[in-house]
Amino acid sequence: MSSVSRPGGAAFNAVRLAFAALAVAFLLLPLVAILPLAFTDSVFLVYPISGPSLRWFGALAESQAWTRAIVNSLIIGSGATVVATVVGTLAALGLRRELLPFSGLLRSVFLLPMVVPAVVLGVGMQILYARMGLASSYLGVIIAHAVLCVPFVLVNVASALASIDPALERAAASLGASPVKVFRGVTLPLAMPGILTGAVFAFATSLDEVVITLFVAGPNQTTLARQMFSSLRENISPAIAAAAFIIMILTFALLLAVKGASLLQGLRKKQRVQPSEA
Amino acid sequence: MRDLDPFIHFEAISKVFGTVTVVDALDFHVARGEFVSLLGPSGSGKTTLLMMLAGFEAPSGGRIHVDGRRVEHLPPYKREMGVVFQNYALFPHMTIAENVGFPLKMRGVARAEREAKVKRALDLVRLRHLADRRPSQLSGGQQQRIALSRALVYEPKVVLMDEPLSALDKQLREHMQLEIRALHRELGLTVIFVTHDQGEALTMSDRVAVLNRGKIEQFDTPSGLYDRPRTRFVAEFIGETNLLAGRVAQRQGEAATVVLASGGSVTCDRAGPFETDSEVMVSVRPEMLHLVPDAAAPNALPVTVEDHVYHGDHIRLHLAFGESRLVARAGRRDAAPPIGSTAFASFAPGDCALVAP
Amino acid sequence: MSARLKALLLVLPLIVFLGLFFLWPLWMMIATAVQGGTVRLAFPQTATAIASWDGAGPPPASLQAALVRDLRTDTPQERFGDAVRTLNSQQAGFRTLLPRTARAVREAGEADAFDLVALDPRWSEQGYWLALKRSMPAYTDANLLAAVDLKRNDEARIEPVEPDFAVNRAIMLRTFVIAGQVTLLCGAIGLPFAMLAASVTGWKRNALLIAVLLPLWTSLLVRTAAWLILLQDTGLINQTLRALGLIETPLSLIYNRTGVLIAMTHVLLPLMVLPIYASLIAIPRNLMPAAAALGAAPLQAFRYVLLPLAMPGLLSGSLLVFMVALGYYITPALTGGAGDQMISSVIAFYATGTANWGMAGALGLFLLVPTTVLYILYGRLSRTPLVQT
Ligand SMILES: Nc1ncnc2c1ncn2[C@@H]1O[C@H](COP(=O)(O)OP(=O)(O)OP(=O)(O)O)[C@@H](O)[C@H]1O
Ligand SMILES: [Mg+2]
Repeated sequence: MSSVSRPGGAAFNAVRLAFAALAVAFLLLPLVAILPLAFTDSVFLVYPISGPSLRWFGALAESQAWTRAIVNSLIIGSGATVVATVVGTLAALGLRRELLPFSGLLRSVFLLPMVVPAVVLGVGMQILYARMGLASSYLGVIIAHAVLCVPFVLVNVASALASIDPALERAAASLGASPVKVFRGVTLPLAMPGILTGAVFAFATSLDEVVITLFVAGPNQTTLARQMFSSLRENISPAIAAAAFIIMILTFALLLAVKGASLLQGLRKKQRVQPSEA
Repeated sequence: MRDLDPFIHFEAISKVFGTVTVVDALDFHVARGEFVSLLGPSGSGKTTLLMMLAGFEAPSGGRIHVDGRRVEHLPPYKREMGVVFQNYALFPHMTIAENVGFPLKMRGVARAEREAKVKRALDLVRLRHLADRRPSQLSGGQQQRIALSRALVYEPKVVLMDEPLSALDKQLREHMQLEIRALHRELGLTVIFVTHDQGEALTMSDRVAVLNRGKIEQFDTPSGLYDRPRTRFVAEFIGETNLLAGRVAQRQGEAATVVLASGGSVTCDRAGPFETDSEVMVSVRPEMLHLVPDAAAPNALPVTVEDHVYHGDHIRLHLAFGESRLVARAGRRDAAPPIGSTAFASFAPGDCALVAP
Repeated sequence: MSARLKALLLVLPLIVFLGLFFLWPLWMMIATAVQGGTVRLAFPQTATAIASWDGAGPPPASLQAALVRDLRTDTPQERFGDAVRTLNSQQAGFRTLLPRTARAVREAGEADAFDLVALDPRWSEQGYWLALKRSMPAYTDANLLAAVDLKRNDEARIEPVEPDFAVNRAIMLRTFVIAGQVTLLCGAIGLPFAMLAASVTGWKRNALLIAVLLPLWTSLLVRTAAWLILLQDTGLINQTLRALGLIETPLSLIYNRTGVLIAMTHVLLPLMVLPIYASLIAIPRNLMPAAAALGAAPLQAFRYVLLPLAMPGLLSGSLLVFMVALGYYITPALTGGAGDQMISSVIAFYATGTANWGMAGALGLFLLVPTTVLYILYGRLSRTPLVQT
């Protein structure tokens, strides 16, 4: 596939290049195209943009509905992240050594919320919440979001735990650390990047959640995503681009923070000194 | 002195995983200050035995005494043993100084004293200048020495090492062997050292326990193992040997005359427990076998030279003795008889051992 | 404490949490779909009395009296409302009839002989009483049948509903068709893309991978909004095509199937690329040169070496994309027209629009079952984990 001396290789390479360019454009164009529109001065979402202006961010800030939605998203996102991170991390620790019967089955069930169609879960939650009196409450929305976030925490923490060499924990114990101290001094710090990544994905998931929110939230719990969804259905104004800008920046900032940290760690690992034996 | 002071005492210790017996009712002691190696093929139970001593595996039966105290029910962190793991197990999120200081911190040693002890422990392995690095920034040999210094810093009663040198290249390994020996002498440590490298076991240890399928085949000094193997497994596992099948024809005190299956008979000074008429193997090391021109030499066997193989410092001669094949080792200056010629292979009665077939 | 007990204690919070807020809701949804329960719960005495009425003659006085007693008791507002909705879906008219009757019965006081027919002549119609009887079984397959455009007629035989109301099957079929089309499109772009990414090295590979991961990490809603903007008549795509002189009038790319397919393919493409890439990257690097050395022309090497090795990844990716696409709601709702709505939007309509949870649940079951089957299949066949981060 990568031989260059082959006859016809030039034409082949041109096709590959064209395909790659088109595919990358397809993947990235929407992300790139929507960002500048947040700064348009016009009332239409069209190029070329007139501006730049912060007009539509101003519109968001002045609108009661949008500010409320942003605050709600932060409240609900944080709540769901905390719940999902705590129970997900504990479960990942419990599943780590495969000590329980049906560990594999449990793991599959724990990942199900990622697979079950949101609308189906939404219907069930709506029925349940009507009975429990959780409908249209912050607690209800936080719990519903946490259910969707748990798999992301579980997957990330489990893979972080799996990459810890069990000999490290044995070494700590042989050096005199009690089980609690082994956990606090060795296991937890080594799993921390995974826990943080999981938490960020959890937050991003909650931030982006629309469907379940439609089913269980009342008008008071309208989130940023929910608000964006209804404005997209009603009238497309550049306020939407501004909201999209906020969501993207928030997600990417958090992701960069955790991914950047682990990337730095990786780099540090690579700059090994040459063995200088005494 | 050894048997008067059984510092570590395994008593009928065994370990069963499911239906497989991995360690089979072992009994042995290790004296204070002794350097003992556990040597055996892969899967013979070395690590399992060590992990039972360190507290990571619970014995299925038997007792372990350390310094007169039973330890089977103590968790690892209360056993006060320094363990050096195969891949060093240095904590990647701590600096070298923090790694070495970890056991002291766990014991609540005050900071100032801790720092002093860490410095001393790092000096011991001559790596004080690396105190602020992370483990990933160290070479394999350096990591190995840090692991050692971490296991020694709190002056444990016993140091356990599970194939600590197997990840190092040959030169570095030999260097570290000497260094560990020196530390052992200097600090008066009691060391139990797991290896499957027989050379390493023979050069480093006071005594070596040869394990095979969860049982101890022989627990002896290195020279005892090499010169006086008691089982066929030990004879074959330690070094190289020629085995001649035969039957004891006559016993004279410690010595015995053995009639060989390939014809002829030999006498051997160390007959062990074998009675007249028992089937045995005569084990003769290649370097004890000499080619002589006439049959008058002791234990002379008629052989045909089949091949010479050049090995630099010596030449190996492949010999046919009836149906059996023998190997002899000749110095490079010895005049080796030409291929195809006949001669006699001879060994002194003191240079052989009888083992069970 | 044994290690096993500790492990159990650690996992327990999540088991309880998901049991309570994930499995139980799903179970409630299924139960609601098959329970004839709402009406029974609201009218317990009527339920007993109606069981002995064969539905042929006029309803006996005892049955009418039971209904009056039920209406007199203090049923919770919500339960009463549920029952009315269910009954109304069987027989239009209940929505006004029942509240009105209930009010009158309460106002009339304890006098036992309350004349229902005198209050409202509808109570003399057989149809209302039959609807009441039909809504009283402990379990019912009415919702499940209705979900696939079937019903039981008055003789309790299963028959298709009137063609005017038969829409669900078509929508289910459409759901599968759209999911299949999206899977094909993702495969057609994803397979060569993953192969390309696996065949280059260094910054080129990183750039290709980042191009896949960035959309994956971007909000679904933002991506859908972006397509909405790009594909408008005045959007960037139509503008560009017009500027290039390729078209005169704008192509209609949005609020139709084209829009749905473009947006969904974009959203799900990473799920296709990543498993294929993972299975390709596991191939030893020298396999293609080895094939060439053994005399395989590039196309042969591709056909006999690379493609078979990419198959497991392609299979995982396709299962994943298809499974996820089946349940899509947001993207078709925003980029599709009325004829492009998938099953999820019908479920959402029943649940939030009309509060007919029985129907929502029944349709939900028809979505949940294939998804679960595909998930199990995925677990069996796939070697790549469900999420890559
Ligand atoms: N946790 C376990 N469960 C089941 N079997 C085990 C377990 N640990 C070890 N074994 C088995 O016990 C036997 C002895 O293992 P052990 O690790 O003690 O061998 P070893 O002598 O250290 O070998 P090596 O030289 O390869 O390290 C092996 O056959 C191994 O498969
Ligand atoms: Mg071992």
